[in-house]
Amino acid sequence: MQYSRIVNIEVYKIFRNPRTYIAFVVVAVVVGLIQLGFYTDGKTYLSFGLRSLSDTFDLKGKILNGYLMAFIILQVLLVNLPLLVSLVAGDMVSGEASIGTLRLILTKPVSRTVLLLGKFTAASVYTFVLLLWMALWSLGISMLIFGVDDMLILKSDMITQILSSDVMWRYVAAFGFAIIAMLTVAALAFFLSVFAENSLGPIMGSMSIIIVFTIMNTLDLPIFNRINPFLFTSHMLGWKGFFDIKVNANNEQIVGSIENLPAVLTSAGILILHIIALLWASVIVFKRKDILS
Amino acid sequence: MHIQVDHLTKNFGSFTSVDNLSFSVSEGEVYGFLGQNGAGKSTTIRMLLSLIKPTSGSIKIFGKSITEDRENILQRTGAVVEKPDLYKYLSAFENMKLFSQYSGLSLSKSEIMRQLAVVGLESRAHDKVKVYSQGMKQRLGIAVAMVHNPDLIILDEPTNGLDPQGITDIRNLILMLSREKKKTVVVSSHLLSEVEQIADSMLIINQGKKIVEGKVNELLNPGKVQLEIETLDNFSAKEILMGSFWSSSLVDTTKDCVLIDAERSMIPELSKYLVEQGVGLVGIKSVNSLEAYFLSLTSEHAV
Repeated sequence: MQYSRIVNIEVYKIFRNPRTYIAFVVVAVVVGLIQLGFYTDGKTYLSFGLRSLSDTFDLKGKILNGYLMAFIILQVLLVNLPLLVSLVAGDMVSGEASIGTLRLILTKPVSRTVLLLGKFTAASVYTFVLLLWMALWSLGISMLIFGVDDMLILKSDMITQILSSDVMWRYVAAFGFAIIAMLTVAALAFFLSVFAENSLGPIMGSMSIIIVFTIMNTLDLPIFNRINPFLFTSHMLGWKGFFDIKVNANNEQIVGSIENLPAVLTSAGILILHIIALLWASVIVFKRKDILS
Repeated sequence: MHIQVDHLTKNFGSFTSVDNLSFSVSEGEVYGFLGQNGAGKSTTIRMLLSLIKPTSGSIKIFGKSITEDRENILQRTGAVVEKPDLYKYLSAFENMKLFSQYSGLSLSKSEIMRQLAVVGLESRAHDKVKVYSQGMKQRLGIAVAMVHNPDLIILDEPTNGLDPQGITDIRNLILMLSREKKKTVVVSSHLLSEVEQIADSMLIINQGKKIVEGKVNELLNPGKVQLEIETLDNFSAKEILMGSFWSSSLVDTTKDCVLIDAERSMIPELSKYLVEQGVGLVGIKSVNSLEAYFLSLTSEHAV
């Protein structure tokens, strides 16, 4: 009862704060720019990318379609989205501490644990709505502008064709995975937010951690390779797994299949464990914290 | 007793902010909590509200321990700690609604407007807080503190940063809460004159320790005063007083004056004695002895 009340209040506060809408504007602008760029020069761009294939195969149909656009946009945006997520999640506790409202809230008969869980739930609602907004722009608007057809995904050593009838559920699953990945970022920013008296620290802190971990993921060194499986950044791009399809003995794709589902689920599990651990640590710290702001 | 504090101590590392402090607040009174800046008032208030955990000691409010029964106690307590910080992007009405929900209430529009009227903000209820003056924010802060109709209201330096009219408004509001609404009010200040005008009882703390606690009318007994005697030669005047009936009352001598504790009624006799002894008397100023003590704390701090 108290929990749902707190969630309602915190969601209301997030969406009444003008700062919240910065992220929505940024997503719309970035997606709009990518769409504009591909609308004007997309065919040239793709013909360059597919020039080696054109010699061997006769490619027909709408290669530059809404599904491919969404995939391109997601690759670009899901790398930058953590900043937009941490803008709000990193502000949830520290922002209130810096403007002084945290001490006023805590003079009200609210449990600290419930308050913190309510705040994280509200940050999760924001993350979900932001991803929904990104899905609407990257997939919905792209489908309207570029139309739909089978989806071609170019990789360094292969090309995957996904039938248009087999694409949409993969996007739903990918967005679901992206929500888990972004909630991990939110949980990290939220955890750092519990320690800070202003929101800059948690935002910068979470971004710094992501950058350092990503560098460790990128460098193919034995010392890092031992740690990498446990770093959440290693699993954040697991959503791409939904676009890898199993093939049968004749090298034909199996509609509705995922090439390595256990790997995708393991990544999701590791991210969820990170969320739980960070949230648990946040509660422990916040319950003991002296409110000096 | 509404509040019973026993042997309360708070350490921040090696620094002791509140040192073995004990006091009690009775139901229905305005309790003044006096001390210079940094004396430990805000830390004590934060411990009363469970914002800070004590290093040792106990706090009971409404007969219950704040560490064990925090939520039930806060259900009956309202507070403004230091500045009344509110959501600037929301209106006064929206802030009131929000904080009433934090308290588990769902107040009607008319009830919120009625509460805003108590602090004189009904006509500005729908203006965003960011356009409010400091005085209006302070009054709104008090309204937010009272939104769940608490029995106990704790106000930490409520007149800080206010102009004279704002100070008067807050003072009248506190007196109204006590006399008409029958609330118990704890109000902290670094100004004795402020506490003197509104409080029934008061506590003075310095460096986290209790200096004195009691009824204001007893502590600030107008009959007992400290006299600042200004003469042409204060050190000679001191010598003369030391060899007289007044020697036991002598407090201090500075280059500006000689200080003695005395009854106000004895001023004519004292001035007559000094003149008879050939002291070049320039003037005698009387201040309440507690006020003098408090001023000395403040001036020490300023140095």
